[in-house]
Amino acid sequence: MADPTKKNPSVTLSIQSLSKIFAGKDKNVKALDDVSLEVREGDLFTLLGPSGCGKTTTLRCIAGFEKPTSGEIDFLGRDYTSIPPFRRNIGMVFQSYALFPHMSIFENVAYGLKIRKTSPEEIKDRVNRMIDLVGLVDVQKRKPSELSGGQQQRIALARALVYDPQLLLLDEPLSNLDAKLRVYMREEIRRIQQQAKVTTIYVTHDQEEALAISDQIAVMHDGKVSQIGTPVEIYENPNSIPVADFIGHANFLQCSVISESNGSRVIAFPSDEKISLDFSSNEHHGLSNSEGVLFVRPERIEITPQSDTPNSLKGTVKHILYLGSLVRYFIEIFEQEVSQEVLVDQNRRVKGIQVGNKIAIIFDGKDVTIFSSDKK
Amino acid sequence: MANTLRQRLHKIELIPYLILGLALLILAVFIIYPLSKVILNSFLVMGETTSIENLTLANFTQFFSSSLYKSAFLNTLVVGFSCVLFSCLIGIPMAYFVARTEVPFKMVFLTLGTVPLILPPFVGAYSWILLFGREGVVNYFLDTIFGFSLPDIYGAPGIVIAMTMSLYPFVFLLTYGSLLSADPYIEESATIMGASRWQAIRTITLPLVIPSIVAGALIVFIRAVGNYGVPAILGGNFYVLPTLIHFQVVGFYNLHTAGAIALVNVAMVGIAIFLSQYFTAKRSFVTISGTTQEARISHNKILKWVGVIFCAGVIFFSLLPHLTVILTSFTEGWAGTRYPTKFSLENYSRIFDIAKTPIINSLFLATSSTVVAALVGTLLAYISVRKRFLGKWILDLTVMLPFILPGIVVGVAILIGFSSGYIILIGTWMIMVVGYFIRRMPYIFRSTVASLTQIDVAVEEASTISGAPWLTTFRKVTLPLMAPGVVAGSVICFSTLMGELSTTIILYSAQWKTITVAIIEYLFSATIGPAYALGTILILLVLSAISIANRLLGRRMSQMFKMV
Repeated sequence: MADPTKKNPSVTLSIQSLSKIFAGKDKNVKALDDVSLEVREGDLFTLLGPSGCGKTTTLRCIAGFEKPTSGEIDFLGRDYTSIPPFRRNIGMVFQSYALFPHMSIFENVAYGLKIRKTSPEEIKDRVNRMIDLVGLVDVQKRKPSELSGGQQQRIALARALVYDPQLLLLDEPLSNLDAKLRVYMREEIRRIQQQAKVTTIYVTHDQEEALAISDQIAVMHDGKVSQIGTPVEIYENPNSIPVADFIGHANFLQCSVISESNGSRVIAFPSDEKISLDFSSNEHHGLSNSEGVLFVRPERIEITPQSDTPNSLKGTVKHILYLGSLVRYFIEIFEQEVSQEVLVDQNRRVKGIQVGNKIAIIFDGKDVTIFSSDKK
Repeated sequence: MANTLRQRLHKIELIPYLILGLALLILAVFIIYPLSKVILNSFLVMGETTSIENLTLANFTQFFSSSLYKSAFLNTLVVGFSCVLFSCLIGIPMAYFVARTEVPFKMVFLTLGTVPLILPPFVGAYSWILLFGREGVVNYFLDTIFGFSLPDIYGAPGIVIAMTMSLYPFVFLLTYGSLLSADPYIEESATIMGASRWQAIRTITLPLVIPSIVAGALIVFIRAVGNYGVPAILGGNFYVLPTLIHFQVVGFYNLHTAGAIALVNVAMVGIAIFLSQYFTAKRSFVTISGTTQEARISHNKILKWVGVIFCAGVIFFSLLPHLTVILTSFTEGWAGTRYPTKFSLENYSRIFDIAKTPIINSLFLATSSTVVAALVGTLLAYISVRKRFLGKWILDLTVMLPFILPGIVVGVAILIGFSSGYIILIGTWMIMVVGYFIRRMPYIFRSTVASLTQIDVAVEEASTISGAPWLTTFRKVTLPLMAPGVVAGSVICFSTLMGELSTTIILYSAQWKTITVAIIEYLFSATIGPAYALGTILILLVLSAISIANRLLGRRMSQMFKMV
């Protein structure tokens, strides 16, 4: 979703070496460990990671609800950390939406404007336009409890955007919706964010959601930022095993690089099988020489019934999972002590392959990354 | 085979309905029947026979013609509203300090803030006279040192102070609960939209806890306008409706007029309930919250120290009367002298012979009433939660009705219902057990309903599907799971019955005098020492019952009272 035509990609939010330590009963918990990132104006920037990785803590530090133990948060060149949350001019959508149950939808959306002492006519005008923008009709007089989850979500978004905040924060906004609505709403959020042209920080644990709507993604793990990049970069060229493992499905094979010539390398596997891969069109091939872990996505592997295909790895089909849009093969490669399972995704069933068949798998040098094995 | 299966199904279905029928019968006989009789009687003049042409409003017109009735009516309102006002002024800030600031000793404040609910207010009422009365110890020092004295607290001021200090926990605990459980993100979202701390409190926090405040205030009002003991001791010529009812029953044995006054008293409560419902209906909402995060706490140091001084002050003043009771009981003098002169067990030896019977009576009556209330209340709670049938709301309403009726009204209703007619229980211990049971069953009902609604129906269904008939499932699965609720309700029932006076004062007979009646008789005759010795025994009995239950259930006292 990266948009190269975006004008003036200047940095608005800059976080430098942010750390947060929560004092616990027995020991302190390091929730954030030296987090640094930069967000460009108008971007939708996603913090992605499993629960407990520190993404929500980062967001709450940006909002001002948590005080960082150390580090800086600069917004448009101003130091944010000394400004109280209510002066930061931020819009925020909470996981539970946090709509005010005692106010009508109109009053909910108007809240931020009333605080800013906007005139009643202007409030009316802007609230109605915003409710319109999020795609709802005639809900002004209703109470939050009378709306469906998806509608509440839209109101929460409208309420956060109505006073033109300089920054929009979204904390797992879709986690309370059912699967189909989630897919629909994430596109709605993207549309509204683009229309409002507001710089947005989006927190989620759902990697598909992150890939679908982000300009930039920061993958977080154990309180640290593992990688920052566009969705394509994150998915195609993860910089570490944890990132590769968290995003999508991944195969990791122990290997060693034994020789190199003209961009081509010979890779040896624990089964003593050797294949030669052409890395000439791969900028991210990883290290040369020595021990490593070969990473390849399941959908980038070909499967063939001819088990004697040259430059392939031999295997046995253990299980076939039919998932509709794709077929997943569980292949056992190598043998005995070193045996390992590999996932192979194909668009359709490969003719002539049954459970128990001896087959071969092939992959291309441009789809492979080799991580050094001690870099885990 | 098919036939026996059908028979078995019939058997399973029959038992709950038999119980339902029995329970409804009990409600009809002991609540609906006496209340209907009160209403009928109040439209008849004493001595007239029951017939259409004899119906009259004569018992009610006294509220327009008699100045005693008029002032009692107004006095009751003044006392009720003043208690509500002061309870809110004390309870709301205290709830905020304990729930939302870094005040130390939170557990202590919560526990001691619940104690006034269990201690009978009339026992401590006279202490206010000892401390702040015209001849009291505070005035003595003010007079000798500064040369002035406090205004007289006999009458309205004393009544309001004594009642407020024992009723404010209702506002405190309910507000505290809702402040604590409020979704913290709702306040945060106001903050991020630009609301300052005070704006967020005013526009978000306060409106969201208003239903709880109103609920607490309503209970305060109901208790204040229905309390007999405190105005009886501190009122003097200041009559309120409960003391007027007592006057009619004991002075003239005019149950018709007493019934009419009782109805006016009930109407007062009814209007208060209606107003509070009307007031909160517009604010009714469901908080959509799935968060387990706790409410955010203010780190403001000034609030912390203001809070601890405020809370400690409130706790001190609310427990002061009862502490005075205990202290005084071990002295000779004070009542009559400036301050306690000599410590001794004189008071206890004086009551040694006389006290045994009332104590045993109280224990017997409270225990047997609690057992009956627990049995019936548990079954009713089960039916109310688990069975669906037409008119279920009538069941719920009837069970809870005595909860909102002033205690003295329950007494009058039971007296009218069972002093003549089909069932005559007057003069026996049974009429007291009936009154106690009706009055306090709501505690057990509500606490059991609360714990039942937490039990997943699937747990019972799992037992049924394994082959257990209804009764077995109830005995082996449902009952053990709801037992904590039953026990908690029963303990509150028992301990509040030990200190019960408003119903007792109407229903007791010479040989069934309770400890509370003995205390108030001593107080009326100004024999403070023995009254306070008995009071101390009562306080200790009640507090030990509660603390044993706390140990058993592993709950805090404030938690047990959350359902009140």
